[in-house]
Amino acid sequence: MTVRVLDEVHALLEAAAAEYHEDDEAVRVLDEHSQRLGEPLRVAIAGMVKAGKSTLLNAIIGEEIAPTDAGECTKVITWYRHGTAPRITLHLVDGGIRSLPVRRDDGRLVIDLGETPVSDVDRIEVEWPSKRLEEVTLIDTPGIASLSTEVSARSAAFLTPQDSPSEADAIVYLMRHLHSADLGFLSAFRDTSVGTSETVNAMAVLSRADEIGAGRIDALLSARTIAERYRTDGALRSLALDVVPVAGLVAQSARTLRQREFDALREVARLGRDARERMLVSVDRFARADAGIDVPADDRRNLLDRFGMFGIRMSAVAIRSGCNDSTDLADELYRRSGMEDLWRVVSDQFRSRADALKARTALAALSSLISRRPTAGSSALARAIERLEANAHELRELRLLSAARTTGIGLPDAEAAEAERLIGGRGTSATRRLGLDDDAGDDEVRAAAGAALQRWRAMLGSPLLDRAAVEACQVVIRSCEAVMMGVAPTSVVRSKLRLVRHPEPSLSRPDHAEHPGNGREHDSGQHQ
Amino acid sequence: MQQLIELVDHGIALAGTGDRADLRRRLEQTKDRLLDPSIRVIVVGEFKQGKSQLVNALVNAPVCPVDDDIATAVPTSVRFGEKPAAFVLSQRSSSGTIESGGRVERTEVALRELAGFVSEGGADPRRDDGREVTGAEVFLPRKLLKSGLTLIDSPGVGGLTSAHALTTLAALPSAHAMLFVSDASQEFTEPEIQFLRHAMRISPNVACVLTKTDLYPQWRKVEELNRAHLRSIDPDIRLFPVSSHLRLAAVESSDTELNAESGFPALVSYLRRDIVGRAELLQLRSTVADLHSTTEHVRLAIDSELSALLNPEKTPEIVAQLEATKDRADELRRISARWQTTLNDGVADLIADLEHDLRDRMRSIQREAEDSIDEGDPGPVWDQFVEWFERRVSAAVTDTFVWTQERATWLSERVARHFTEDEVALPTINVDDTRDVLDPVGEVATLDSGRLGAMQKFYIGLKGSYGGVLMVGIITGIVGMSIINPLSLAAGAVIGRKAYKEDTENRLQRRRNEAKMLIRRQVDEIIFQVGKQLRDRLRIVQRTTRDHFTAIADEHHRSLADSVLAAQKAASMYAAERDKRVTALRRDLERVDALTKRVRAIEKRDARPAAGESGPASTAQPAASRVSAGEPRVGTAPA
Repeated sequence: MTVRVLDEVHALLEAAAAEYHEDDEAVRVLDEHSQRLGEPLRVAIAGMVKAGKSTLLNAIIGEEIAPTDAGECTKVITWYRHGTAPRITLHLVDGGIRSLPVRRDDGRLVIDLGETPVSDVDRIEVEWPSKRLEEVTLIDTPGIASLSTEVSARSAAFLTPQDSPSEADAIVYLMRHLHSADLGFLSAFRDTSVGTSETVNAMAVLSRADEIGAGRIDALLSARTIAERYRTDGALRSLALDVVPVAGLVAQSARTLRQREFDALREVARLGRDARERMLVSVDRFARADAGIDVPADDRRNLLDRFGMFGIRMSAVAIRSGCNDSTDLADELYRRSGMEDLWRVVSDQFRSRADALKARTALAALSSLISRRPTAGSSALARAIERLEANAHELRELRLLSAARTTGIGLPDAEAAEAERLIGGRGTSATRRLGLDDDAGDDEVRAAAGAALQRWRAMLGSPLLDRAAVEACQVVIRSCEAVMMGVAPTSVVRSKLRLVRHPEPSLSRPDHAEHPGNGREHDSGQHQ
Repeated sequence: MQQLIELVDHGIALAGTGDRADLRRRLEQTKDRLLDPSIRVIVVGEFKQGKSQLVNALVNAPVCPVDDDIATAVPTSVRFGEKPAAFVLSQRSSSGTIESGGRVERTEVALRELAGFVSEGGADPRRDDGREVTGAEVFLPRKLLKSGLTLIDSPGVGGLTSAHALTTLAALPSAHAMLFVSDASQEFTEPEIQFLRHAMRISPNVACVLTKTDLYPQWRKVEELNRAHLRSIDPDIRLFPVSSHLRLAAVESSDTELNAESGFPALVSYLRRDIVGRAELLQLRSTVADLHSTTEHVRLAIDSELSALLNPEKTPEIVAQLEATKDRADELRRISARWQTTLNDGVADLIADLEHDLRDRMRSIQREAEDSIDEGDPGPVWDQFVEWFERRVSAAVTDTFVWTQERATWLSERVARHFTEDEVALPTINVDDTRDVLDPVGEVATLDSGRLGAMQKFYIGLKGSYGGVLMVGIITGIVGMSIINPLSLAAGAVIGRKAYKEDTENRLQRRRNEAKMLIRRQVDEIIFQVGKQLRDRLRIVQRTTRDHFTAIADEHHRSLADSVLAAQKAASMYAAERDKRVTALRRDLERVDALTKRVRAIEKRDARPAAGESGPASTAQPAASRVSAGEPRVGTAPA
């Protein structure tokens, strides 16, 4: 199914390229987009200044390749792609390309622009061998609401261009607390990235979660409560698929933990609770020369920079409760930092929908091209786009999801919530769609999917629904069917034969749910 | 302070003997001002930056609630009281909007329970009796607060609703100083600097506080960056890196070293010396000026009578001189006086300018609103749209009023130039408070969201298809078919569909027009209501300024007239009586001189801290000793 969408978009782009063969500019755009369809999904990491974008990026990749600093640091849009060997390329505004030396200083990648002023640089591309980058291309952006307005404007122009779809297919938006600037940006991104047919393709991250409760050990619990509140907050709900709290610094350091740091942390953990808390009362005290601990002051300062107060407290507790070597500690810290949740949500919402999202971007680009430069055959192209958008189930799901989040889909609240879940509002795996536990077995899934299918088919029969609701019901039913297909036993051919020999009568049989096999057979029969 | 009050009492007694009720009144007002010194310091900043914790650490008591998530929702003021006490201010509200002019009720609550009242979404702020909490007051027996310092913990600006920001800005004009709080996690952001710039226009006493230095290892670097940003706004803004957490811990364990590390001593001494000290200095200066002018007035009458008594032959000369001065002073009293003209013309200009300014701002908002209505369907997003509109309107109105204040002050300065005396006090003008300005403006009416029920849609379709069925039915009727036949039904379906589409478009157009009309009507209403208030305020400005300067002119007239009278009377006095009168007058004069001398002494003393203030700020020195320096100065009592 997914292959089909991408193929069709590909074909459409080729047709468009043929149509526009005289227009060099258009051909370039189309080529770029058809090439993009084969590349990994592009996820931009955006947020206000100092939200922790580069730190999060490092935590995702697992190496310190994005530079971080106390002051505002990222000033140039930087792309991180997968490559077999590390390589840094500089793309200038005037189209020039230059290669930069790859140099690492104490584990950190150093990107040195040399003589080139920041304003002349269009973007930097870093190729890096990393498993995560095989799946997504990450784009680090300078912060919005920065005091250097030029830097902010550059980010905004990249993520939310005025007249063309955004270069990013999806966005991970980092914020420390919800500010009006955040909301403004997110809505601008939604408006421009998707143009006419709306999609929600942003997720919000409550970053620097470790600092929320003044670095206390229960900071992440507080952060989780806050994230929950934002998740249900009306303003944010319509703009972001989910809100996840993440302690980026802890995650980054956990993935790059060194033995020397572990030894220092073990020393800290060895102190008694009182002595430790006395030392951790402030950063200055902890880094003081006469702190009464057998760790050099420079190492302690390094610990503060790399872990923060929360990270040190957390490590001390973890070591005391049995993490005996650096691997154990790194795993424990990573688990607690919230990064796993984040990556799960990214997988659920973005990676599993990668094809649909990429198709969406390409179609949006094509429509904007058509509306800008209409030709004789462009109306046929426009019709083809419309047909594709109406038929491809993934795109319809995305559109419905966005409608559910913004204008509503004309169903009562309880049903609307269920519909949102079934079309993948909380994740696209079968269990998440059905609201089951992640480890639910196939039988359970089949039973739940069958029940849902039956319920929604019955609802579709209601004459009181308006058109939006009817469409919504159809999409939901289609999603249920897809789930059923997903958990069908492998012997589809055999059951089809049985169907021919003993045709099952109607859909609304009461034992439908108990014999999901029957329902499935019927479905597959329908689609043959 | 006590000394000053004593001096003012002296002055009142002197004015009383001179039978000058006008001077007395003025001094009594001065005394009232001295007796209730309230120096308001408002703590502002983005939310969750540690404002409440800062206030708590300053007064060493958990008076403002601190939470990881829930933010402060209403302002809490902390001031001096003999006994700790807390009050909640509430106002009657109906359906979420507070009625303006409603009576504010003060309810005493336990200090511990205060948190529930002032937090966002804490214990429901709207209580069952339909009253809404609008503020809280806390009284604490603290040395820092004793000099009249009032700390106000404000809700964060730029929070979920930026209406908070406007409330905070509206409260600024009444504050003596502002502490702008930002935490050490990052340098200033653009919204923060914008707010700072805006606030600087309203209140010049601004200091920045960098909180949570215990948590961020890089705070020194952030401090450096922030200082650089501040230098670009105004090099005089101070920045204090502090850690409330350390301060509270230090107080708990009475650890002076920790207290020093917390950075609070510098902040406290700044509050004491620069804020309280300066406010007291201003207070002192105006009191001294009042006393000076009173003694001058009293002395004039005594002096002229005395010289007339002592040198009777010169009396006519003195009287002539006095008469001439009096005539000049009388010029100022006349309605056609030049300053009156300046004032009247100025206010007329001001009204025209500001009305135009308001209209201009509102029109640009209206244009923006209409453009965005044209771009989409206003129906489904009307609520958000109205919210946006209201926010823009209140920002524009605040700007206009701030400008009004600036222009009004400038006008009164121009009027003061007509008075030739060395320095004429300016009237206090306070018109930039926008708290209730928008209250009389009604809410924007609701707009039809444009959703249709199934029945309505069916009806619209049917209405459209009716004509099609009939038309084609009649035509096909010619060839002998019945009116309802497949052809006419098909035509009906086609035309019905078309009619439905057209109807949808028409309704969208209608909604847009309706939305535009609503916005236009609202803008008219705002211009009308706010314009009225603007004019009212400017009239108040005119009246206060006029009364203020008339009073000054009257005082001059009274003094001069009294002197003329006294001099004339002296000429016709018998010798014996004359001697007695001379003695009495000499005694009076001595008393006046004694008072003048003491006032002079105080004036000189206040010059010293003023000099220290402009010099390099020595943060280490405890400021309290500065302000109350030169205490032993009761000496020069009247002989």
